[in-house]
Amino acid sequence: MSTPLLEVRDLCVSFATRDGVVRAVDGLSFSVDAGEALGIVGESGSGKTVSSLSILRLFGLFDDVTLSGEILFEGRDLLRISEAELSRIRGGKIGMVFQDPLTSLNPVMPVGEQVAESIRFHTGATRPQARKRAIELLDRVGIPDAAKRCDELPHSFSGGMRQRVMVAIAIACEPKLLIADEPSTALDVTVQAQILLLLDELRRELGIALIMITHDFGVVAATVDRVLVMYAAQPMEYCTIEHLFDRANHPYTEGLLRLVPRLDHRMGGRLRPIEGQPPALTEEISGCPFAPRCGLAEERCHNDRPPLVRLGPHHESACWLATERAARLTTPGRPWETPS
Amino acid sequence: MTAVEKTSPLPVRPRRGRTGGGLGPLLLRRLRDGVITLVLVVAIIFILAHVVGDPALVYAPIDATDEEIERIARNFGLDRPFHERFGSYFADVFTGDFGESMWQQRPALQAVGEALPDTVQLTLVGIVGAAVFGIIGGILAGSRPGSLFDRGSNFLSVTALSVPNFWLGLLLIVVFAVQFGIFPTSGRIGPSSIVLPALTIAIVHGGRIFQLVRSATVEEMSKPYVRVARSKGFPHRRVLWGHVLRNTGLTTATIAGWEYVRLWGGAVFAIEYVFAWPGIGTLTINAAHRQDFFVLQAAVIIAGAFVIVANLIVDLLYRVIDNRIKAS
Repeated sequence: MSTPLLEVRDLCVSFATRDGVVRAVDGLSFSVDAGEALGIVGESGSGKTVSSLSILRLFGLFDDVTLSGEILFEGRDLLRISEAELSRIRGGKIGMVFQDPLTSLNPVMPVGEQVAESIRFHTGATRPQARKRAIELLDRVGIPDAAKRCDELPHSFSGGMRQRVMVAIAIACEPKLLIADEPSTALDVTVQAQILLLLDELRRELGIALIMITHDFGVVAATVDRVLVMYAAQPMEYCTIEHLFDRANHPYTEGLLRLVPRLDHRMGGRLRPIEGQPPALTEEISGCPFAPRCGLAEERCHNDRPPLVRLGPHHESACWLATERAARLTTPGRPWETPS
Repeated sequence: MTAVEKTSPLPVRPRRGRTGGGLGPLLLRRLRDGVITLVLVVAIIFILAHVVGDPALVYAPIDATDEEIERIARNFGLDRPFHERFGSYFADVFTGDFGESMWQQRPALQAVGEALPDTVQLTLVGIVGAAVFGIIGGILAGSRPGSLFDRGSNFLSVTALSVPNFWLGLLLIVVFAVQFGIFPTSGRIGPSSIVLPALTIAIVHGGRIFQLVRSATVEEMSKPYVRVARSKGFPHRRVLWGHVLRNTGLTTATIAGWEYVRLWGGAVFAIEYVFAWPGIGTLTINAAHRQDFFVLQAAVIIAGAFVIVANLIVDLLYRVIDNRIKAS
């Protein structure tokens, strides 16, 4: 078996804040093979964005971060290499698309230049060469009349168009891995689909591995091969996309899937939200973080943290009941169709 | 809802000079405001001068009789009713006649005109120094908030801007002129005379510029596009110079411009007086002491006009550059 392109092992990220230490990511492990697409799913505050920022160490100015674990990319631990080495990887081998396209572009720099500067920095191309390549890229991501529009400033582009520019920036240097942090969340529904389609196309065309961070199972279903479900900074379930919809094991995953509204669902069926709130990440969680909201929770769930149980070659679930539930196969076919 | 959704595939052609309310109307509006302010300045100065004291009394010798004082008052036209005097003074001022200095026996405007270049020179040298301290320091501190340099320079700048400027001036005189004898204590003897007063301006106003530039830089550094620039692999310095400063440059220039205007609004007066710098500040304060009303009025009105015009220029430049950035 070949080594994966990216392998994250036992990643822990905590922030020192005024309210105490926040454990934003707690014991996360996953891997992405070359050309593969992984989805990281979870609600806001579950640690998915922080995990993605950790890969390139792109934390904010005021963040007081403590990182542990390993992030192996092409055999090197990104958490331990120097800032200078990392800067060759950022934008070069790993590209990133961020959540809010409206504020992600420099407002006073022409969009073409924002693509070209990255090319110049990583490949040493001359200004005209980089510009030519930038125009090609803008054209590729679907900016109409790219040669002309590349000299315009971001404010004359719509949200969807700006996100396309962001994608062009991210793939400018033909990265091996693309990290997309909720790339469609801030966009209109129709535009969302276009962006996802574009990412999917580019991934297949250029053979880029993709990490898609989202809270939307629809996005996951459309774009990824494998899924990591996170809750309260911890991994809950890790499985292929087929397993997710057919054999979701973790009660949290199941709860989330029940919340996906379906057009083919019979009328009158009601969505059943998961009761309660996620725990505060400043508190020490001894058991399963989902236990207080889980209908199946037993005493051990509240007291001891469940291990990540291996259910198959591509299926892991952090639940004390994982094996039993897998055997019962509780959710054949359509977990969202709840018995009435 | 953000209103930035423009889905038109056609390039939006910006109309130069008409964005943001239009430059022409803005100029007219500002000129009108400037004139109103100036009229108010003239009125207030005149009223103050005639409420606070009687110029004839000051001009007359100590043992002058009432008759003599009356004669002096008549000479200066002070015996006429208030509104008449105000009216004619007003008319004179707007034709450029600021009256005669009682003390110096020459046109007040001439005295002010003589002092003006010295003040311009001092304020320019001072503000350049302040801008160098404030802008460079503010950018370096703001780009790494919480660093040792940030905390150290922040402390220094807060100290600098909290100290009264005349006190700082005196301190510099004591240290550099009296103790070490490097620079002259006061007056305008040679080129080295400008160092201490300009340094006073540079420190106090540099402290303020530092604070404003620092917070502008910190704010800019936390914007999402900075993270994007970092995700391209650019090192800190390149992110700062290539991206952040492009955005804060205009704000920074405006901050320095406004600080220069503030200087004219009063700060330079005390500093000039402390260093006996022969500028408009010293002239004004001396004129006030001697109740040399015509000089006092001329100096204040001209300094006021300077502030108004400088303010206008800073504002317009900001608009012009801002429009050009948005339009290009």
